Amino acid sequence: MSFCQKCKLVPGTILLRLRDLYCNDCFLTNVSHKFRACIGKNRILTQNENVLICLNGGLGSTILLNLVLNGLALNNHKKLLITPVFFHLIGTEENKSFTKLLIEQCMNQNYDINLCHISEYMIKIKSKPKLNHIPERNEEAHVEMKKKLSDMSSSTRNDYLAKIKRELFICYAKELQCNSIFTAETSTTLAIKLISNLSLGRGSQVQHDIGFCDNRNEVKILRPIKDITLEEIQHYITISQLTPLNVRHAQEYSLQSVAKLFVNDLQQNFQSTISTICKTAEKIGIQNENKHKIKCLICESGINKNQCKLTALEATNYSKIVSMAQQESTSGIGSPIEQQFSMFPHVNKYLCYACSKNYSEMKSTVPLNI
Amino acid sequence: MPVLCRTGCGEKAVLKRPKTGDALCKNCFYHAFETEIHYTITKGELFNKGESVAIAASGGKDSTVLAHVMKTLNKRYEYGLNLMLLSIDEGITGYRDDSLETVKQNRDDYEMPLKILSYKDLYGWTMDEIVAQIGRKNNCTFCGVFRRQALDRGAAMLNVKCIATGHNADDIAETVLMNVLRGDIARLKRCTSISTGSEGTIPRVKPLKYTYEKEIVMYAHYKKLVYFSTECVFAPNAYRGHARALLKDMEKIRPSCIMDIIYSGETMAVKEDVSLPTQRLCVRCKFVSSQEVCKACVLLEGLNKGLPRLGIGKSSKAKKMLEEYNSKLEHSAKERAIQDLNDHKVINGSDKCSSKGKSCKSGLCKSKKKYTEIDNHVNKCCNSDCSGRCKCNQSNDKENEGNTKINTLLEQYGINESSNDSGIDQNKLDVPNNDIVEDLLNQEEDPCSGSCGKMGSLQIGF
Ligand SMILES: [Zn+2]
Ligand SMILES: [Zn+2]
Ligand SMILES: [Zn+2]
Ligand SMILES: [Zn+2]
Ligand SMILES: [Zn+2]
Repeated sequence: MSFCQKCKLVPGTILLRLRDLYCNDCFLTNVSHKFRACIGKNRILTQNENVLICLNGGLGSTILLNLVLNGLALNNHKKLLITPVFFHLIGTEENKSFTKLLIEQCMNQNYDINLCHISEYMIKIKSKPKLNHIPERNEEAHVEMKKKLSDMSSSTRNDYLAKIKRELFICYAKELQCNSIFTAETSTTLAIKLISNLSLGRGSQVQHDIGFCDNRNEVKILRPIKDITLEEIQHYITISQLTPLNVRHAQEYSLQSVAKLFVNDLQQNFQSTISTICKTAEKIGIQNENKHKIKCLICESGINKNQCKLTALEATNYSKIVSMAQQESTSGIGSPIEQQFSMFPHVNKYLCYACSKNYSEMKSTVPLNI
Repeated sequence: MPVLCRTGCGEKAVLKRPKTGDALCKNCFYHAFETEIHYTITKGELFNKGESVAIAASGGKDSTVLAHVMKTLNKRYEYGLNLMLLSIDEGITGYRDDSLETVKQNRDDYEMPLKILSYKDLYGWTMDEIVAQIGRKNNCTFCGVFRRQALDRGAAMLNVKCIATGHNADDIAETVLMNVLRGDIARLKRCTSISTGSEGTIPRVKPLKYTYEKEIVMYAHYKKLVYFSTECVFAPNAYRGHARALLKDMEKIRPSCIMDIIYSGETMAVKEDVSLPTQRLCVRCKFVSSQEVCKACVLLEGLNKGLPRLGIGKSSKAKKMLEEYNSKLEHSAKERAIQDLNDHKVINGSDKCSSKGKSCKSGLCKSKKKYTEIDNHVNKCCNSDCSGRCKCNQSNDKENEGNTKINTLLEQYGINESSNDSGIDQNKLDVPNNDIVEDLLNQEEDPCSGSCGKMGSLQIGF
């Protein structure tokens, strides 16, 4: 019988990455240490500040809730010094019984949860979040939202939804007097997100989208369980006897679904896949961070006015031009025709490359206030 | 109803561009394809007027199309470039015969001077000789390291200002993904730049950076260019293999993702506090290296001293071996040995010898097994390792039945010319059945074309 590699006192019960053996206690300690270390070393929270904690009932969300509550319950110097404000955004396809289970999950722990519909995105003056109850839905906005989403390809929809959620989290954080937000993204989800985002042309935004802190807005989005893998979460949930809700991911065939399948498959065969991808992500930063005067209206990323002589953006536009116009009109480079058909509406003016691409797929062009 | 060319030229369309989805006639496709490359060359400021430029020629589709287009554009737009072809011969019996024949054909077709440099010329050793020394187990290390420097050494010998390689958009997007998977931040940053090379080195440029592989194949087909189709993958670089599979799957969903991934790479920055390996010049050969003495020089030293295993594996190990070796030598003998080494026909210029022998799993390194196969099969593969994935077209026979890649491409993107006017189903044109075509593509030649198929010289620089 092999012993726990940490304490070396008791037999190991949990094998991680096919090689690291831990006992239950050491394992749980290690997971919560990762959570604490992530928040602690970044020194980003002030004492007892309000933190919007975004929950969706899934694995990551369940463990985040548990780690936060455990941290708050401590009575020593390790006590988590925040005031949690739990929050859930109700999706357009979410059924009521699911939402009710999530409310229960929170109330069983004697905490309240704030709820809002994602379709509020379509409305300028948003309704206030409801406490422990499903708020009434604005049907018009709901229908409009569904229509808008169904007009897009699935890859664009996934990406756009992520941006909508980000914007709403920030909006409701402000509403609820929070300066920080916790999301429940794990290292597994972030590795997948890195691959998907690269394929969407979001390479310059990696630090904010994958890293610990997204500070594009004055309200910061933090990812305190970003160093915890799905494998660890599954063990944690079993040991702690938590009951995550069954979040239904009706994932269609998309860039994101391909990335997910790819990362999970590769991880099966090469146990270092996710950690390598995440380590790569940590080294990626932002070009001339302080020089960005213009921000994308959808994702708030800084827009870099052409750093390079030539990028895939110009090359793509040029491809379109030479495929559409007759030879004489395109032989001269830099001709006025170059301006006429851009594949990227509002790019580098109001929108970043990827958001502009998304935007070009939208049939109804709300609510970009250009 | 015939589909008319998108440009409004009045001609019937013959194909749908894989890159943009527009239906074009043959001439407008040529024009679009070539003009885009011209755009890349001029906007990217790849060349200066009057320069000598070596085109890295492997006989494969990319370098053949590159040579053809460079020749065309040089004349059409009066670049005033002095173009020549540069090929590297590793010196493996049978391995290069067909591809070098193809390169010679390129030379005649495009009326460009061709220089074939062998490993013997560049390093004093052929791969055959190295294998005889080292055995087949580790020759992979040599081949990878030597290959990475070969173009630079060759270009220095030819005294050219610039090397143009045939890397296409697919290769570059794939390399971005590969470097993410293997956590190579330095290469991730470098791999999307259109021109590489630090001060004191010969820059390498990629005029086909934004050109889709599928369009390269179609261009070569319609223009009836002669190229050497394929090589066999015996042991593809694992990372590249995975990255390629991922890219193919993503491209099925959204063809533009190739450009989007390149854009991601172009606009990405490395955090300031991340230390990248500094590039310097090897004190021996004066080519770029991340160490004081580059890997190629270490390997050569080993070969020349009869310690061929030197430099395989950790550099600390090499140091130890060398110390032991040196301590056994009399002082004078040592001096002589070093003198020998310095006299060795190693000129100057170079690339990164930094890869710890890892990345050499690509390319020729298949020679690990390939070498054996070539002996047995008289060249051109298809042994059990291919398990049918590789069609291994019998070289430069452009009418070859085995060349299903172009057939599948034509099935998807071609618009049937011979059909009578009512013969085209508009819907079919708009909604190509990607899956089937991709499956076909994946089954044949493709697996060989990047990790090994670049025939050495093009597989460098990332
Ligand atoms: Zn233990
Ligand atoms: Zn944006
Ligand atoms: Zn035409
Ligand atoms: Zn050297
Ligand atoms: Zn084969």
